[in-house]
Amino acid sequence: MMRTAISILKKDLRMEFRSKESILAMWIFSLLIFVIFNFTFEVSRLVMLEIAPGLLWVAFVFSGMFGLNQSFALEKENGNLRAMALMPVDGGQIYVGKFFSVTIIMLMFEALIFPIFIIFYDLQLSLGMFRLIPVLLAGTIGFTSLGTILSAVAVHTRNQQILLSLLLWPLVSPIIIWSVTLTGMVLSGEVTEAFYPLLLRVGAFDVIFFTLSYMLFDFILED
Amino acid sequence: MSVPALEVLAISKDFGRIIALRGVSFSVQSGEFVSILGRNGAGKTTLLNIISGISRPSEGEVKLFGTDPSDRENKAKLAVISHEMFLYGNLTAIENLEYYSRIYNIPNAKQRVETVLNDVELTHRRFDLVATYSRGMTQRLTIARALLHEPSLLLLDEPFTGLDQHAIGMLITLLKKQKEMGRTILLTTHDLHTATELSDRYVVISKHKIVKDGLIADTNPDAIREKFFSADTGGIDL
Amino acid sequence: MRSKIDKILLIILLIAFSVSIYLIFQWVPQIKASNPAEQIAQRIFYFHVPSAWLGFLAFFVVFCGSVAYLATRNRKYELISVASAEIGVLFISLVLITGPIWAKPVWGIWWTWDVRLTSSLILWLIYVAFLMLRRYLPDGSKRANLSAVVGIIGFTDVPIVYYSIRWWETQHPKAVMASSEGSLAAPMFFAFMFSLATFTLLYVYLIRKRYQLLTLEDTLNKQFKEMEIL
Repeated sequence: MMRTAISILKKDLRMEFRSKESILAMWIFSLLIFVIFNFTFEVSRLVMLEIAPGLLWVAFVFSGMFGLNQSFALEKENGNLRAMALMPVDGGQIYVGKFFSVTIIMLMFEALIFPIFIIFYDLQLSLGMFRLIPVLLAGTIGFTSLGTILSAVAVHTRNQQILLSLLLWPLVSPIIIWSVTLTGMVLSGEVTEAFYPLLLRVGAFDVIFFTLSYMLFDFILED
Repeated sequence: MSVPALEVLAISKDFGRIIALRGVSFSVQSGEFVSILGRNGAGKTTLLNIISGISRPSEGEVKLFGTDPSDRENKAKLAVISHEMFLYGNLTAIENLEYYSRIYNIPNAKQRVETVLNDVELTHRRFDLVATYSRGMTQRLTIARALLHEPSLLLLDEPFTGLDQHAIGMLITLLKKQKEMGRTILLTTHDLHTATELSDRYVVISKHKIVKDGLIADTNPDAIREKFFSADTGGIDL
Repeated sequence: MRSKIDKILLIILLIAFSVSIYLIFQWVPQIKASNPAEQIAQRIFYFHVPSAWLGFLAFFVVFCGSVAYLATRNRKYELISVASAEIGVLFISLVLITGPIWAKPVWGIWWTWDVRLTSSLILWLIYVAFLMLRRYLPDGSKRANLSAVVGIIGFTDVPIVYYSIRWWETQHPKAVMASSEGSLAAPMFFAFMFSLATFTLLYVYLIRKRYQLLTLEDTLNKQFKEMEIL
């Protein structure tokens, strides 16, 4: 059953790692985000710490957008989207494959960006920081589960990148708002009792978005 | 008589302001080679999309091997060759073929991949990225990819467009071989010459309707040319 | 028959709007407020809240139309969804315009990144994106499929958007109907309900008209095509 999804995932990762330049470019780009924000808002360290969680997510989300655009541009290139519609498999399986490849690539970017973030904003590493892992996972999955299906929608237009931003940003804003709140709690070390219920809520919406997209993906492939 | 490979029963595709097909009916027996002739925009591609289960007719019904074209078993029996490549430039020939053989769940995949690569004479380039291939080579690989899962029904949508002479010759040879093996083939083209050379039957579509359905053997190609093709446009003119 | 219903609807609407303007500006008693500007500005409430309600109703219809389309592939439901999305965006635009008009004299600012304000803006953006998507795609069953998918996902997101921003504190006046203390006086309540009903009727009228226009466009285009064919 998962054969299709795994094949697609393997194929996507293989292609992604083959174009190492684009990974490097994306990493430099997120570096730039930190630099530019630093110059445009010349603020004290204290304020910087307050906006740091938001900044971190801006960098994450930009790298995520990049991955999403790339992912379906590859499929459109040689008519592969039509090839997917012709495959003797469930459209949901194709969605799962694409979802995992986009998510893994985004998480990889996050792993590359986070150390720089720590250095630039001189954050103290502590054991409590491990709480960031579920936060990043939940936020990223929310972003990519919606992003994957909307990217498959946007790829049918000529202005793919703009349209994906227009569709995805407003829809994913709740997830991002919550993720920023949660990240802020962990980074400031003020993990209140609201932390876990909120994290659970993000997780619940991840499940909703994923299931909905899984069910609707067949309609996107159909003409 | 056995179930026909393909039955198209009075289908129309008429959505919103778009009219693509109107009351098109025909059937194709197993092992037949049928050419669909028609001008660009006559509705040939829409017809193939409906037959391959990607698109739905707004009226009428299509039966592939007696069932709905969007059935998974039917999709596994079907291959489409068009001007689109259905290949990833950033993968090698062998990686492309291996990917599709996993998707189509092909037994003995390794051997099968080698066979089709050999058929299209690309074995020596199998470890090269498809992006480095010439156009003709890419087209040959496209054909190999389509034949990978040994489809019982081949749908060819203007497959000769943009091919070089070598690739055209190879495709014709391969198609003849497929026909000998008893595969059903449906070809859309505006090239009368290849249509008469390869097919048993021809169907002419004009302005979203079928205007002629006849056996190639019963017809003098010149008569078809005279009747449906005008010399000056080189296309079908009704 | 159809045009007869529309005519009757239009007449009822004209009367209802005249009555509701009278109710809102003459009949309803002044509210107690220290700031005289606030007393006048408060009356925008009778337009602001019904517009918001219409927006939600319209987007709910987009959702239903999208589901119905995917279930039946009937062009009719696609057109209903589009018509409703357009009207919804129009009324949420009105919400976003009337809100600041009220806020300036009362809060002293046009805009603040408050719960209700932000969520209404996001809602507006979702459906503007929906309409933009349709603009970028050629007409056909593919566009119908894609926009139905977005119509469904978009509406699922609506409660989440509202829920997510609850996290912050709000300056926005609470839903006055619900609270027992400081609830609306009877005349105000009546005028509000009347305005709400009038707006709902306006929605019915607008969607009927817009839908008719879209079908007419289809018919016309088809007739042009037919002429080309012959």
